[in-house]
Amino acid sequence: MARRKRILASDSTGDDDVNLTPMLDVVFILLIFFIVTAQFIKEPGVEINRTEVDNTERQNPLGILIAINDESEIYIDKEEVSLQEVGFRIRELREDNPKGRLVVQADEDSDAGVLISLMEIINNEDGLTAVPVSVEQE
Amino acid sequence: MRGRQAKQPDEASVDLTPMLDVVFILLIFFIVTSTFIQEEALGLEPPPPPSNTQSDPENSAILIFVDQDNLITVNGRLTDITGVRANMERLRAENPESALIIQAHPQARTGTIVKIRDEAYNAQMNRVNIVQSEGD
Repeated sequence: MARRKRILASDSTGDDDVNLTPMLDVVFILLIFFIVTAQFIKEPGVEINRTEVDNTERQNPLGILIAINDESEIYIDKEEVSLQEVGFRIRELREDNPKGRLVVQADEDSDAGVLISLMEIINNEDGLTAVPVSVEQE
Repeated sequence: MRGRQAKQPDEASVDLTPMLDVVFILLIFFIVTSTFIQEEALGLEPPPPPSNTQSDPENSAILIFVDQDNLITVNGRLTDITGVRANMERLRAENPESALIIQAHPQARTGTIVKIRDEAYNAQMNRVNIVQSEGD
């Protein structure tokens, strides 16, 4: 409305009007970039205490997160999962995200037996020779 | 159609403002939700398949055993987490080819295992296996 009034008032051919088209192009390109790069990672949704270590490696891009809480229960996508079901769930998540890294978030007070059994399953499913376990830099 | 356009020439130009609002809201939504989750991780080796476990000669492997009370034993010698690296390096000096086997009781703490593997990284051990003891 304001624009229309101004055009009428200034009595010009519309040259004083700001051309929004280039900005719109840029905004659209940004929008498409963010839509394409947005990865919705399914978080396990449990709070864990990570072990503090010296050697860490940043995992990028992240794909699948599996958590073991301090009660040694396995969580994927905010649901408790039994050890037998984990392989199936990994295969399911791999369909959505074939390239992302798999990371195990193991609480430092969980039972090592659960982690080692889980690593065996991950090795069978994903063929990883070293399973990344989430840690904290000391 | 032609008659209406001639009467109201202003209606012909499309007002882009509402679309721009929507596009901006979408843009901000995607910028905000694309918070990249960062994970720092340490690689732990899964146990080897059960077929070739007997192939390693007993004397060429360093065995670190962690029992259910998190007591650490390096080749039969009781130690704690700060002594693991020294023990590991001493045994490797005796036999440079030796592999490292971390054997954990199923009820041992994960934190202990991760810390031992970290010490092995510090000591630059590259043949490491993590297994769990046959458990009750």
